[in-house]
Amino acid sequence: MVFDIDVNGRNHAVSVERDGERYRVSIEGRTHVVDLARVDRSTLSLIFDGPEASSYAVAIAERLEPGELEVHMGAGVVYACLDRGARTRRRRAAGIEPFTTVAGEQEIVAPMPGKVVRVLVAPGDQVTVRQGLVVVEAMKMENELRSPKDGRVKDVRVRQGMTVEAGRVLVVVE
Amino acid sequence: MGLRAVAVYSECDRAALHVRYADEAYAIGPSTPAESYLRIDKLVDVAKRSGADAVHPGYGFLAENEDFAAACRDAGLTFIGPSPEVIARMGSKTGARQAAIAAGVPVVPGTETPLARDVPDVEIARIADALGYPVLIKAVSGGGGKGMRVAATPEDLPGGIRAARSEATSAFGDPSIYLERRLLRPRHVEIQLLGDEHGAIVPFVERECSIQRRHQKVVEESPSVAVDGKTRAAMAEAAVAVARHVGYTNAGTIEFLLDEDGRFYFLEMNTRLQVEHPITELVTGVDLVQWQIRLAQGARLTLDPARTLAPMGHAIECRIYAEDPDNCFLPSPGRVLGLRVPAGPGIRRDDDGVTPGLDVPIYYDPLMAKLSAWGEDRPHAIARMARALGEYEVHGIKTSIPFFRWLMADASFREGRFDTTTLDALLQTRAGHPFLDISPEAEEVALVAAALHAFDRATGPRRAGDAAGESRSRWKDQARRDALR
Repeated sequence: MVFDIDVNGRNHAVSVERDGERYRVSIEGRTHVVDLARVDRSTLSLIFDGPEASSYAVAIAERLEPGELEVHMGAGVVYACLDRGARTRRRRAAGIEPFTTVAGEQEIVAPMPGKVVRVLVAPGDQVTVRQGLVVVEAMKMENELRSPKDGRVKDVRVRQGMTVEAGRVLVVVE
Repeated sequence: MGLRAVAVYSECDRAALHVRYADEAYAIGPSTPAESYLRIDKLVDVAKRSGADAVHPGYGFLAENEDFAAACRDAGLTFIGPSPEVIARMGSKTGARQAAIAAGVPVVPGTETPLARDVPDVEIARIADALGYPVLIKAVSGGGGKGMRVAATPEDLPGGIRAARSEATSAFGDPSIYLERRLLRPRHVEIQLLGDEHGAIVPFVERECSIQRRHQKVVEESPSVAVDGKTRAAMAEAAVAVARHVGYTNAGTIEFLLDEDGRFYFLEMNTRLQVEHPITELVTGVDLVQWQIRLAQGARLTLDPARTLAPMGHAIECRIYAEDPDNCFLPSPGRVLGLRVPAGPGIRRDDDGVTPGLDVPIYYDPLMAKLSAWGEDRPHAIARMARALGEYEVHGIKTSIPFFRWLMADASFREGRFDTTTLDALLQTRAGHPFLDISPEAEEVALVAAALHAFDRATGPRRAGDAAGESRSRWKDQARRDALR
């Protein structure tokens, strides 16, 4: 069974299959054999097969938004979203979510001052909702700015390497 | 003590812990504080209706309000705290300064009388020049950093006065301000004390509260790394002198600024129990709240100052806020979906009002719990606190826990090299680098866990005899459960 999981803005295809008493989980070519014990509805104990038999206590909270998970571990929390693409398609098919979630021309602005490290689209490109448009680095963090809607890139107003102020329009999607 | 507890609650607190655990609970109105928790008439009415003998004001809302204390007294109720007259006197920052001066305790150089709204800026500028810059502009009725501004130069003064006055007016209904010279790198050190109605006053070992974000305490510890036995004795003596001068009774705290040169100055007095009181209890073994009640009953203080001034070990408290440290510490109210709380040797949680299924309401302060750690010495207490923070999980809302995990590992905190300005400076140098720093390994584990969770959901509940579940021996499951504690 393959799952579509977004973590920290990156999408992953994760396959899970039973392997006797354990599970075989593959993520982009990396395979883990995992022993799972469910402690209660939200608490999992994972032991990874390997020379170190690494053990992890994980708590999963399902947020009120469907598919949104909080994965809590000793190291902190990771926000994950299951099946974002399919969920959006289903919602659209059911007429809950319109195909164009944001009507009209949309300006994508820099949320903070920073440096443009990558421009991912060119004028005329067709883009889908949440597709990355520009990556802005600020405070040593890369922030991928995404399209709020399905549409066409009307204008790209920045180049790679440019320094931008907060609020500066980077891309226009129509 | 065999006392029964009567709780009051606003609309949004109907299912809150304090209501569930009380013997009796009474609704006092809508969630907005001004319509419920700040309504003196409603509180006194509940006290009368329920037949309560005494009122404990806690440490928020009306805890330092002389009108409330007076209303309780007029209604024949015992107010667990000092008299309304003392609250009024020490609640005015300038009144408290005058009391300290009269008691022979040094105060930070500043204005002796309030500067009312009609005092012109040029006049205030003249006072500031005489004090020397930088100056602090503070609301006379202020507290908690509200109504406070720094003027580094004369140019900053008019804007600072305007901002302080407007904040003070909206928060306290009083635009009066005063000026104080700003010490450059002071520590905030305070002395807890108890006073009985027979004239005895007992001081406690100091609390260090210099770890502040925008003038709000976030971490407190006891004892202070900057205070030696001689300074402790001098501070305790000064605190007792001020309290004695005003005839103080019940629990209170005298706050001092401790300068780099070892001199200290009276800052203000809190005429109530403080948020950070658990650390004093941890290092002295004294139950401050029980003493508050006993003192209000007229009991004599029998505590030996030699004991209350001699800390046993070291204690640290972190104020856990429903705030997102990775988004400018913005409040993060909302539904708590799950909770995993730390416990174990030396760990204590107080005033933890959070339970899964309930909301952290938008109406009140985002302080949601206090986590304290006791250790044999400071490194031991820090290690225990770091361990407890690593176990603490709050699901559904963002909290300041990741920030505290970072702070416990920070070199200047660990080495005790800080003053009241250090944390703000440290946060500035971090320049927004996330506190929630997830390693690629942890992210991989999270992905695996999320996928297994989804797999479980998709394949339905497991049957007995199934691979990874209940069929295993019970002791194995129990051991895992224990391992998760």
